[in-house]
Amino acid sequence: MTDTPPGLEVRSLHAGYPGRRIVHGVDLTVPAGQVAAVVGPNGCGKSTLLRALARLHRPESGTVHVAGSDIWQAGRRRAAHLAALLPQSPRAPEAVTVAGLVRYGRHPHQGLLRQWSREDERAVHEALEATGTTGLAAERLDQLSGGQRQRCWLAMVLAQHTPVVLLDEPTSALDLGHAVDVLELVRDVAAAGRTVVMVQHDLTAAARYADTLVAMKDGRVLAQGPPRAAVDQALVKELYGLEADILPAPADAAPLVVPRPRPRPGGAAAVRRT
Amino acid sequence: MTGPRPTRPPRPGRHPGGGRPADGPGLTPPDSTLLRAGPFSWLLPRRSALAAALLLPLLVLLVAAGVVVSSAGTSLPDALSGLLGTGEPGTVMIVREFRLPRLCVALMVGAALGVSGCLTQTLAGNRLATPDIIGVNEGATAAVVASAAGSSTGMVGHWWLGPLGAVAAAVLVVLCAGGAGSAGYRVLVVGIGVSTVIGAVSDLVMSRENDNTAGGVFLWAVGSLSGRDWQVGTPLLAALAVLLPLGLAAGHRLQLLRLDDEVTASLGVDLRRLRAAALGLAVVLAGLAVGVGGPVAFVALAAPVLAQRLCGPTRVPVLGSALTGAALVVAADTLGRVIAPVELPVGVVTSVLGGPFLLWVLLGPDRTTGKV
Repeated sequence: MTDTPPGLEVRSLHAGYPGRRIVHGVDLTVPAGQVAAVVGPNGCGKSTLLRALARLHRPESGTVHVAGSDIWQAGRRRAAHLAALLPQSPRAPEAVTVAGLVRYGRHPHQGLLRQWSREDERAVHEALEATGTTGLAAERLDQLSGGQRQRCWLAMVLAQHTPVVLLDEPTSALDLGHAVDVLELVRDVAAAGRTVVMVQHDLTAAARYADTLVAMKDGRVLAQGPPRAAVDQALVKELYGLEADILPAPADAAPLVVPRPRPRPGGAAAVRRT
Repeated sequence: MTGPRPTRPPRPGRHPGGGRPADGPGLTPPDSTLLRAGPFSWLLPRRSALAAALLLPLLVLLVAAGVVVSSAGTSLPDALSGLLGTGEPGTVMIVREFRLPRLCVALMVGAALGVSGCLTQTLAGNRLATPDIIGVNEGATAAVVASAAGSSTGMVGHWWLGPLGAVAAAVLVVLCAGGAGSAGYRVLVVGIGVSTVIGAVSDLVMSRENDNTAGGVFLWAVGSLSGRDWQVGTPLLAALAVLLPLGLAAGHRLQLLRLDDEVTASLGVDLRRLRAAALGLAVVLAGLAVGVGGPVAFVALAAPVLAQRLCGPTRVPVLGSALTGAALVVAADTLGRVIAPVELPVGVVTSVLGGPFLLWVLLGPDRTTGKV
């Protein structure tokens, strides 16, 4: 590690609700400019972890540092300068335009005496450019396709100008083509120097687009590391209780996860015949 | 941003619709005029500004009409000389001591009701969620009525109990609904119930008064500005001078409620504090208005709906609601003074006109939230 603090540093984070602990002692370090993908079965604590990183859910103990600053020590507004969150399928204001949506991202930088600075203008411009939505700026969000909409939401989060970007299943509602578009965009965001943490259900996509894979189950991190090393049959079995084949992708040898059918009482052949 | 790490070159223009350079000013909100001075910048919403520019002269006209017209009949020159203090002593007194203070109180009561309705409607995301309907006005009414009970002088009750009763009712509604952050629909339903209960208490208190003393309270309890002057006008003005700017600031931030709670919170907004502050403001404003003018019906519903039409669907029209509410109450009070041989209380006028308006709101599409 160099002398500059990592983009995101999480130390022994415990979080949950009264009477029910959901995240048990998570440690996570993501260098600036890298993408970490959090994978795991439903209810494993991924979303609670992400909410704790976004300063939406106060952890019971542990720390979250963004570029050296503790987001739970920082004020709410200051924290909004450090980490931005894109929730899963967020609701947009009715009849909002793309530019209107992206402008919301500038709120932490604005005030009653500073409602629309040149810096706001530049940040919105750059966010639209980065997501390829400049040409859509004047369109109404509700008239765009799902893939275009998700790029616009990403633009909003980018306009917030935070070193850390948190994405909750950014591709879950998208078809394959648009999902790849968004994931490539996530790579571009990291390439521009930001730290990205995304919750991702698709293990194959996570393995291909993340620098670090964080596998969670029952609120604990089972494995953490470069995806090519981390993804193996044992991990898939442990996470999902599934037998799976892990194949190297012909193009780039990224691990492909191909689940095997679960053994059934009647046998696979019997099922197929009916 | 920290140091870039070029793992992959960016590919501009890869996405459909990308690559066209944006002109800077094109990103400024198109419905606003940008004012910049050094490090400061303001966005002036054009449609709201235009609405205010139309409503202000309308208010002046309505107040002028209120000074001039009456069932007693005053000519325009008489009224003017009364206003300037150069006319007959009797006219001067009527205009300066009675009509003008009452009109000013009407303006303030209307503005308070309008802003209160605008805040509660925005908080609940529902146009029906006004202080009339969620029990706040009934709470204020009950407190004032109770203070008049047992008095033998036929007094109206202490106006300053209005805000206290309103706050008590709001606390009751919020507790019953399970927290201020709960869904607007739930607050609405619980509010209707609480409203009915408190209303029954007021009715009970009034029905036990003898006929001689109940008259004043009964008149006030339908909403009346009769006899209101600077004795209540001055403290009301002082309260509004503090509360209205706070309402404007709250309205500015409430625009973020149009986003998801999670998104809003990650933009650095303390939603619980914002909601509690806006609700508190709305309740105290409604309590003040009711304490002074009685529960004038429908103004808190109608003013924000009309202001929204004037200012456009993307705004939280706090200023517009204040001006519209003020115009409605002044117009209704003046109408009540001239229309009948015996003065009609302002609350009766707004009730008569408000019924059809409520139907229109219920049946028409909701432009602000898409909900009924």
